[in-house]
Amino acid sequence: MEKDEIRIAVMRIEGTNCEDESVKAFKALGVYAETVHLKQFYSDFIKEEEMRTIWDYSCIVFPGGFSAGDYVRAGVIFSARLKSVLRKDLEEFIKEGYPVLGICNGFQILVELGALPGFDEDRPIADKPEMALSINDSNRFECRPTFLKHENKGKCIFTRRLKREIVVFPVAHAEGKVTFPMGREEEYLNTLKENDQIVFRYVDKDGNYAGYPWNPNGSYYNIAGICNVKGNVFGLMPHPERAIWKWQLYSDIDLLVENDFWELEGNNEADGLAIFRSIVEYLLKF
Amino acid sequence: MSVYKRANTPFELYEIDILNADDETLKRISEELGLNLSINEMKIIQDYFKKKGRNPYDIELQALGQAWSEHCCYKSSKYYLKQHLFGINSDYVISTKDDAGVVEFDDEYAYVVALESHNHPSAIEPYGGAATGIGGILRDVLCMGAQPIALIDPLFFGNLDIEHSTLPKGVKHPVYLLSGVVAGIRDYGNRVGIPTVAGMVFFDESYLTNCLVNVGCVGIVKKEKVIPSKAGGEGDIFILAGGATGRDGIHGVTFASAELSEKSEEERSAVQLGNPIMKEPLIHACLEIVESGLLTGMKDLGGGGLSCAVGEMAFSAGYGAEIWLEKVHLKERNMKPWEIWVSESQERMLLTVKPKDVDDVLYIFKKWDVPARVIGVVKGDKILRVYYKGYLIYEMDIEFVTSGVEYCRVYKKPETVEREEIRDIGNYKKILLKMLSHPNIASKEWIIRQYDHEVRASTVLKPLQGRIGREGHGDSAVVKPVDDSWKGIAITADVNPWMTKIDPFWGSASAFDEMVRNLVAVNSIPHSFADCLNFGNPEKPERMWEFVESVRAIGWMAKNYPLPCVSGNVSFYNESPYGSVAPTPTLMGIGIVEDIRRVITMYFKKRGSAIVVIGETNHEFGGSLYSVITGLKSSNVPKTNPEKLKNYASNLLDAFKRFKIYSCHDISEGGLAVALAEMAISSNIGFDVNLSFVELFSESNTRWVVEVSKRDANKLVEFFTDNSLKAKVIGFTDSELNYGSFSITIDEAEKSFKTGLSKYLG
Repeated sequence: MEKDEIRIAVMRIEGTNCEDESVKAFKALGVYAETVHLKQFYSDFIKEEEMRTIWDYSCIVFPGGFSAGDYVRAGVIFSARLKSVLRKDLEEFIKEGYPVLGICNGFQILVELGALPGFDEDRPIADKPEMALSINDSNRFECRPTFLKHENKGKCIFTRRLKREIVVFPVAHAEGKVTFPMGREEEYLNTLKENDQIVFRYVDKDGNYAGYPWNPNGSYYNIAGICNVKGNVFGLMPHPERAIWKWQLYSDIDLLVENDFWELEGNNEADGLAIFRSIVEYLLKF
Repeated sequence: MSVYKRANTPFELYEIDILNADDETLKRISEELGLNLSINEMKIIQDYFKKKGRNPYDIELQALGQAWSEHCCYKSSKYYLKQHLFGINSDYVISTKDDAGVVEFDDEYAYVVALESHNHPSAIEPYGGAATGIGGILRDVLCMGAQPIALIDPLFFGNLDIEHSTLPKGVKHPVYLLSGVVAGIRDYGNRVGIPTVAGMVFFDESYLTNCLVNVGCVGIVKKEKVIPSKAGGEGDIFILAGGATGRDGIHGVTFASAELSEKSEEERSAVQLGNPIMKEPLIHACLEIVESGLLTGMKDLGGGGLSCAVGEMAFSAGYGAEIWLEKVHLKERNMKPWEIWVSESQERMLLTVKPKDVDDVLYIFKKWDVPARVIGVVKGDKILRVYYKGYLIYEMDIEFVTSGVEYCRVYKKPETVEREEIRDIGNYKKILLKMLSHPNIASKEWIIRQYDHEVRASTVLKPLQGRIGREGHGDSAVVKPVDDSWKGIAITADVNPWMTKIDPFWGSASAFDEMVRNLVAVNSIPHSFADCLNFGNPEKPERMWEFVESVRAIGWMAKNYPLPCVSGNVSFYNESPYGSVAPTPTLMGIGIVEDIRRVITMYFKKRGSAIVVIGETNHEFGGSLYSVITGLKSSNVPKTNPEKLKNYASNLLDAFKRFKIYSCHDISEGGLAVALAEMAISSNIGFDVNLSFVELFSESNTRWVVEVSKRDANKLVEFFTDNSLKAKVIGFTDSELNYGSFSITIDEAEKSFKTGLSKYLG
């Protein structure tokens, strides 16, 4: 599709709270993006000019936040509402190859929805969740920068424009520990590996797999983000939209060449923008 | 005969016989109704109703109890605030009269500043108290029409190592309070999606029975969209939006205007309940309505609930109002009219709207699932009338209710003995490690990482800075509020209660100095500040003296710097039978960063650069960390001078433009010894310097330490000395912490720094 045909929906309900910065990331690349309240897809009192269908969009993003307060379990309520009003549409949307991205709470929503790990290409939304993002091992909310190693060999359409093997995106969550059904962890891991579905893994500052705090939540196999078998649904706990510009990472020494802050003009881009650029590039060839 | 007479209404309403009441009875009425009004205040009310020729209803007395509380009308502080702090206006200050200060940011935008205390509720119910503190301060910023962009939380607790068995009756352990307060801020702040970027945590025994929870918020708004906290005009419609009204938070302001005691636990109902998932859409909905220009006025419902919000909106606009109380949506059945009127239930905003725009406004709220109801209308006369189910149950002149009372309270300097025991007792290494592990200095990572400090993705300088995995505390946080501008806002919160306790004047002046130092350290120009003045019982002359001294010092510094005070809050009665809190004038400083790509952080950047100390070091140890660690007393609290401070600050800001300065850190608690250690711990780069006892540990004001390229070091020093200011190269960055007379490995220092606080918290 042409660049001006691209329309990105960043979904919101009460409690989602990273939608504005997600929209900004796309706008920085010159494509149209808007926040859309789930109600705009079904509610009968919404004014006509504010009504939407999923087919108005070429990409759906589930942003970070605490949808509906996350009081039950992170992402459960949003995904239940999605299932009741959009499940069929969303399944069709994914089958057609449109990209769906979930960041942090969005990842939790995609997992609760059954769209990730998404092993079955013909049924992209499973009947029940097959994995969980459980409470961090530290039992605390953790807001910290993490080093991520990109391990996808090309399946994931969201990281194709990533230039570096190791990037820094911050995490900010209390429930982000990737957990597979007990006793079947290896089986799941092997399937993910065979399908090239593993995208990011937590590493330490030297690029080695390591425990807390480098792996901030205790995720199995240090997994930070995975895609579905088709590569067009991607969920990750770290926030790429908080690492699209270098100035968002000024507090952390390892990211900057010492003299960088003396160069006012010059490239301000950081690695997070590549996630959003990959989506745009993919859609341009779609 | 009872003074309470049931009115002839199909709901519970009492007429209270004050016309015939003697002093004793007036006192009893005030106590029985929980009004917390003095005899004199009750007599003023009696006179008013004598003129009206009738007795008041319960709802009318309750409304007066709210409006005339210390919390709402500043009756003890106003006189001194006017004298010392008000009226330091700069041409860029847009407004200081409403719920939050509004200050010009650039041609198009203004930033909004608010700072408040939520002390009493947090001492009783730390989780709910802190959470609703966040909710309240967000509303203060939101009601100006501004998008909140940052939260700030200065917290003060008793010492964490106190034995449970020695706690006074009814007092909760500081570890419990701290954990609860942090959890409350975390769960509310993170859920509403506003980053908590700065704050401070201070431990002192004086906070054991009265912890202090101060909350600040900064917002951004287009200048043309600033919404006044007053009613639009006659005929405008009042809309109440947000959470339902319940019995939580009744008498919150009167509770906050009295000393705490072991019985305070029984007043838990005075603490409100927070619901961030109502607040989050409420913020979006209000901002959408602001953007669409459908509002004529907006105010949040805080202390005193509807009674204060309606009164103040109408009073400021010079109008009256008519309210239909049965329209208010409720959490529970059978609430009495006065309870609805004074409830402080959270997440509520009061708007005035032109009649033709009511439907459009209600549609926007509905879209966001935020309940909203029309509850009244603005009237031309200056009278407030409240109806309930058709009955007129409240009719008073707005001016009488809202303008409140004012006192010029007496103050008296307490007897003190001047002391100077400070001497060099050697043992530097042991003392420094003790300093680094003191909970006031040690890493607050355990707390800070529980707050989302970068949601909204516009945090430039985070509260923790340094090499990933080794971070230390930055001097100020910086956020970038506007997309297409490189300008930034720097934020810091400062006070050193150890100093204000010994000398409230110089301690408060030092707080101002430290605030300016922290703003300048990140390369921001000090622009404005807010104050939250936490003190004991103002009816005690010695407490009042502390307050007056503190306000006098802040006023003196602010007037002569000059730096406008744009918003503030006074919290008295932070006192229990076990004593009062240390005088705690928390200052929140706001700086303007001209280009956020030029911000400066506090950790060393590379080995072999020069280390320069800017400023003058004197033998000043009053309230210092050295004094606390060694137990050697001193009354000599560091002095300062606003003109000198300004001179240093301007020259340092100028130096940032001229020289290759890699890092900068202010020198405060623990003196230069601690400042250097912090710069090394967070970078894993050490230093080689040679410092005397006074240079190591003195806490003289108006000093910074900077890391500069070797080539520029002498030029930098000359730049200051040419302007008759002091600067000195003290050494170079290297591999260990080498102070000359002793040295420590970075790992050893880091261990003390990292575990000093976290060891209490698990």
